[in-house]
Amino acid sequence: MQTGNSLVKKREKEIRKVSAVFLIPALLFIAVFIIYPIFNSFQTSLYEWNGITAGKKFIALDNWKELIGDKTFRKAFGNNLIVMVLSIVIQMPIGMALATFLDRLGRKGTVFKVLWFVPMLMSSVAIGYLFKYALDANTGLVSTISRMFGGKNIDLLGNPNTALITITVVICWQFIPFYMVYYMAAYSGLPGDVYEAAIIDGATRSQYFWKVALPMMKPSIKSAIILSMVGSLKYFDLIYVMTGGGPGDASELMATYMYSNAFESYRMGYASAIASGMFILITVISLITMRLINGKEEV
Amino acid sequence: MKMKRKVAVAMTMALAGSALFSVPTQAEEKTKLTLWHIQTGTMASCLENSAKRFMEENPQYEVEVVQMQNDSYKQKLSMAMSAGETPDIYIHWGGSSMIDYVEAGQCADLTEFMEKDNYKDQFVDAGIEQCTYDGKIYAMPVENISVAGIFYNKDIFEEYDLEEPETLTELEAICDKLVEEGIAPFALANATKWTGSMYYQYFATRKGGLEPFQNAAAGTGSFEDEAFVYAGEKIQEWVDKGYFNEGFNGMDDDSGQARQLFYTGQAAMDLMGSWFPGTVLGENPDFIDHVGFFPFPALEDSDVDQTLCVGTVGDNLYSISENCEDKEGAFKLLQSLLDEEAQVERKSFGKIVPLKNFEAEDELTQEILDTVNAAAGIQLWYDQYLPSEVAEVHKSTSQEIFGNLITPEEANKEMQQAMQDYLAKAE
Repeated sequence: MQTGNSLVKKREKEIRKVSAVFLIPALLFIAVFIIYPIFNSFQTSLYEWNGITAGKKFIALDNWKELIGDKTFRKAFGNNLIVMVLSIVIQMPIGMALATFLDRLGRKGTVFKVLWFVPMLMSSVAIGYLFKYALDANTGLVSTISRMFGGKNIDLLGNPNTALITITVVICWQFIPFYMVYYMAAYSGLPGDVYEAAIIDGATRSQYFWKVALPMMKPSIKSAIILSMVGSLKYFDLIYVMTGGGPGDASELMATYMYSNAFESYRMGYASAIASGMFILITVISLITMRLINGKEEV
Repeated sequence: MKMKRKVAVAMTMALAGSALFSVPTQAEEKTKLTLWHIQTGTMASCLENSAKRFMEENPQYEVEVVQMQNDSYKQKLSMAMSAGETPDIYIHWGGSSMIDYVEAGQCADLTEFMEKDNYKDQFVDAGIEQCTYDGKIYAMPVENISVAGIFYNKDIFEEYDLEEPETLTELEAICDKLVEEGIAPFALANATKWTGSMYYQYFATRKGGLEPFQNAAAGTGSFEDEAFVYAGEKIQEWVDKGYFNEGFNGMDDDSGQARQLFYTGQAAMDLMGSWFPGTVLGENPDFIDHVGFFPFPALEDSDVDQTLCVGTVGDNLYSISENCEDKEGAFKLLQSLLDEEAQVERKSFGKIVPLKNFEAEDELTQEILDTVNAAAGIQLWYDQYLPSEVAEVHKSTSQEIFGNLITPEEANKEMQQAMQDYLAKAE
């Protein structure tokens, strides 16, 4: 008994040692490329610096004070929230619907599976240019169709009221396939006998979906929502390519605002404050959401 | 043994050296000249060649040509200046930074050299004007001419019997006519921001000349000057009258969305830099015959000089450090940057050197040159003149003016605030 126990302990100790050794390379990368830059951003946010010269000027919390009073940053944060809500509301149900459809079709749905996945394979910059031309107010697809039916030209990207929503729709177009595949994986994780049992008990297809499949996929849906949320809050690509945050600050996001401060206005110190502010905001929002979602389950 | 070999090597090298450069027999201390530039690729080698020719002709000099990186150039130069290590010859873009260098005693007065044998008369007047501060010449324009003007579709002008306008009223009459015919007068893609900013710059320059901007940027004037109010109001008036294509604030000039309208005849004119013909030749060479050019029209009943252009004549201006020990030699080196060989070389790279004798290959470029030659002065691009963080504010406020998102007064106030903040920090 005594010896057996110590053997187990010894073994555990060994495993811990070995896993530590195996973890070192990954941890090293994380330390160098994630943890250090985060601390460095916080540090840089205390300086006035143009990002190029050697001389940094320590200004304590001045950048942070400016950030708190910065209307553009508040607007950008609001825009991020709009993108976040719309992304979750649009992407999750459609992704789920497509996945359900493909799950029902099985092998026969391969063509759709491939076609629908295509947007995910394109780079964001290519998608941005594609839609920029398609939405061109004079020569684009949308305006041309509108003119065909006797309507006027439609300006979506140059109109401050529609620019952000238009781009959000494109973002959804790009990311729905991702969640489709995600939910397909969730479907394949459901045991087949549950489906059979439900059908034998006389459940209809829709009853099976709402009462059985959906509740069983809850964990996947939760992580998909968190994923989409964090992605939306730090979003950059399509906004940068399609409007650059404009017109004015109509489609400015926190990340594009950070970029233009760092690399267009050469205010690296202030841009670091924005980045650090984003870090705090995203972390807090994610933690609250996770608490909310998981808390419900326990009740 | 070792010593002997070293001596031998040194002797050989000296011999080889003298054969190459035909060094005078008596050992002479060479004067060293340092030149900082930001050209890249073939243009950089053009500068190297000029320096080589200069050294062959003036063997008492040794020239070090240093290629700097554009992005960090301004910072590096001011660091060198504050360390008392200003290069003998350095480039800048004129505008507020040149004034700063002059005030800091870092920039030599070249008036005497430039006036010797009327050398300065070889240059385009507007270029010399750009290098002049307080009546003295502090730099030499060297690299390139690029100014903004209006390019138009000749076919459309012919079809509706329109003529190149000379005044803004004539231009507005043309625009009204085009709007009636369902053609957008101007092609504009303003997600890019600097495209719309050109209208703002021209309106302000036509209304107030060069001083309002110079003073505003120096902190002695204000961006709330009436010239800027006029610029903003005129833009919004033109937008309201439909002088620009629809959706301009969502379109990107870099991906050609404005030129697309211009090529297809949906828009008649485009206010653009003089690189425009080059772009057309690159992407739609057959169209070049349909493109005409006229300078931005004059504002009637104005005391301000109406020949002023927006752009740059020289692009890079070369100055000599006040601390340079041999300014005459340095000036000779400067001259070699634009000697005959260099002129030929520069032209072959598609550059328009700011000299009066430059002959353009095509009619369009020649018209642009005539405009520049007739110009009394140049308003340097705002975004090159201003420090980058203020320039960004200008670009975004001018986009907001175009989008009717703010009033010109609000925009100018924001600009003035940004400029003041910057100047306060710089002190």
